[in-house]
Amino acid sequence: MVETFVAAIEGGSAPREPVLVEGACERARWELDTSGVRPLVEAMTSGRSPSPHWVDAVLAAARVTKVNPQVEARVGSYVGQDAMRGKPVAAFWPAESRSDLAALIVQAAGQPSQTFRHVRGIASLLLDNARLILWRTPDLGPDRLIVEVEGVARDGRSNLALRASEERYRRLIHHLPIALLQVDGRAMAPTHDRLRAEGVEDFAAYLEAHPEVVALARERVRITEVNRSAETLVDGENLIGPIGPLFAASPGALARILAARFEGHRNHSEMMKLRTRAGRVLDVRLTVTFPAPPEQADVTLVSLEDLTDRIRTEAQLRQIQADFSRAARISTLGELTTSIAHEVNQPLAAILTNAETSLRWLSRDEPDLGKVRQLTTRVAASARRASEIVNRIRSMVARRVPERSLLDLNEVVYESLLFVRHDLETRSIALSLNLGTRLPRVLCDRVQLQQVIVNLLVNGIQAMAQGSASGGSLDLATGALGDGTVSFAIRDRGPGIAPGDMSRLFEGFFTTKEEGMGIGLAICQSIVAAHGGTIDASNHPEGGALFRFSLPAATAA
Amino acid sequence: MPNVPVIAIVDDDEAVREALTDLLQVTGFESRSWASAEDFLADAAIGEVDCIIADVRMPGMDGLQMQERLRRRGSDTPVIFITSAEDPVTRRRALEGGAHAYLGKPVADALLLEHLRMALGGG
Repeated sequence: MVETFVAAIEGGSAPREPVLVEGACERARWELDTSGVRPLVEAMTSGRSPSPHWVDAVLAAARVTKVNPQVEARVGSYVGQDAMRGKPVAAFWPAESRSDLAALIVQAAGQPSQTFRHVRGIASLLLDNARLILWRTPDLGPDRLIVEVEGVARDGRSNLALRASEERYRRLIHHLPIALLQVDGRAMAPTHDRLRAEGVEDFAAYLEAHPEVVALARERVRITEVNRSAETLVDGENLIGPIGPLFAASPGALARILAARFEGHRNHSEMMKLRTRAGRVLDVRLTVTFPAPPEQADVTLVSLEDLTDRIRTEAQLRQIQADFSRAARISTLGELTTSIAHEVNQPLAAILTNAETSLRWLSRDEPDLGKVRQLTTRVAASARRASEIVNRIRSMVARRVPERSLLDLNEVVYESLLFVRHDLETRSIALSLNLGTRLPRVLCDRVQLQQVIVNLLVNGIQAMAQGSASGGSLDLATGALGDGTVSFAIRDRGPGIAPGDMSRLFEGFFTTKEEGMGIGLAICQSIVAAHGGTIDASNHPEGGALFRFSLPAATAA
Repeated sequence: MPNVPVIAIVDDDEAVREALTDLLQVTGFESRSWASAEDFLADAAIGEVDCIIADVRMPGMDGLQMQERLRRRGSDTPVIFITSAEDPVTRRRALEGGAHAYLGKPVADALLLEHLRMALGGG
């Protein structure tokens, strides 16, 4: 009965296998008087659930009667053997194995008339392979226990020196510039065991279906210690207590942490929102490290890193990049202004002349209404045409968030050609199109891809405009390369790229044009790279410049 | 019967050609149109034309080159340019090449007809 009681209070772990190890070093040896323990045990087993402070109560009731020099060296050097006599073992026993000792004492108390011997592995700051050996023989009487601790000493320090060292680290952690919280998650251990016993495997799904488990965690998992940075981060001083408020702004996070714990992970990390006492909402990276033996089960470490500023800066940077990209589009279109104006002027000229002609007809004594109808129909058609041109320009210039979709590269090439069609015609530039068939689609933003192609087209046209007054040809080609990429190439018959310019071609603000801003190619490279592709420039062996870019083909989705 | 002047329209844009044809019709002129300078120069009917209205920027041969060819052939048919290419350099070249007028697109009908009448009247 005592065994099951012990098993119950220790959270269901199976009793350790007793093993006798021949120690190679001096064991610490205690003799304890456990007469005060038996009434306690009787009170505890009378049916009520165990008090959480039973460990301290038992160790307070067990008194030291004798210790050997090893014990004095390890834990009692500041009082000496003699002064330890008569005091509760609670005053000296190290924290990491207190519950083990208490459990064995209780077990022994439950078998007063029998020979009792029990060995258990324990955690120890001083020793490797530490073992606790407890026994009682009939000649000692029912209230005397011998307790021995054996193990290989890690170093020559005493427990006292270790406590001092621990204090130094405690102060260090308190002042670390990272917010740290110590959390006691043992309250969830019974739930964990129960779920494992029930065969639950998908903890995330279970927690979603049973929000009461997460609610329990919110209340019973407790923050037990915080460092100064944590207090500053959360804007509050008394953070000790239930962990629920920490997740007020990120309700899903606690469930995910619980699932990670139940799944046996050592760490869990995620970005989450944290609401400070003052009401600010921060973007923090939360990292949880769960305890694993021989660490103490009540120490779960939580660190919080405030990334609010960094995230805000990243958002600003993205905005600036979008603005820059837009500026490049406007700049490229600026180089096409004359041809754009001309393109719009044609339908406008038709509209004006047709409208004025209609008025002349209508001012006659016998207006030819059939004619007027015909002219008015033409006005409408021309107006629509002008509107399409304006829309095309507007979409290229608009401030927008890039939107990727599956695109046919050839289609985008045709759309891009519309922007420069007039320039090609008026300069008598021959266009040769060698477009691959059945190209795999690419996942790209349409306007950005048009921007790249239009920029390359404008560059090619201008390269040839420097030479003769008219003529020249542009060769465009698209194809699917065997390595899962789709490529575009454009070759002009201009003077080519000067060797000295080659390495700086894609640099920002590099230009060989008098009126050029030099951001076109830089943005082209940035767009192509952002889509996972590459762009390069070279001189064609038979003259002119050759620009190529390739993009990864979209994988089947 | 008085001789109705025949006006040549040379412009690559179909909508512009149609609109000018209708304007000339309602104002009592006859007109014929060509989509390119090359087509116009190759056409034998070129001799019957009393005035030419042309665009400057066209694919292939542009309007100024067409004017130059006409002068070399000894033609003195007046040429009126209506064009979007409003830059001063092209304007000067056109006028120095003998153009009667250099007007911007879109052109008001009254302005065009005035220049047309002046060009024909001088004939």
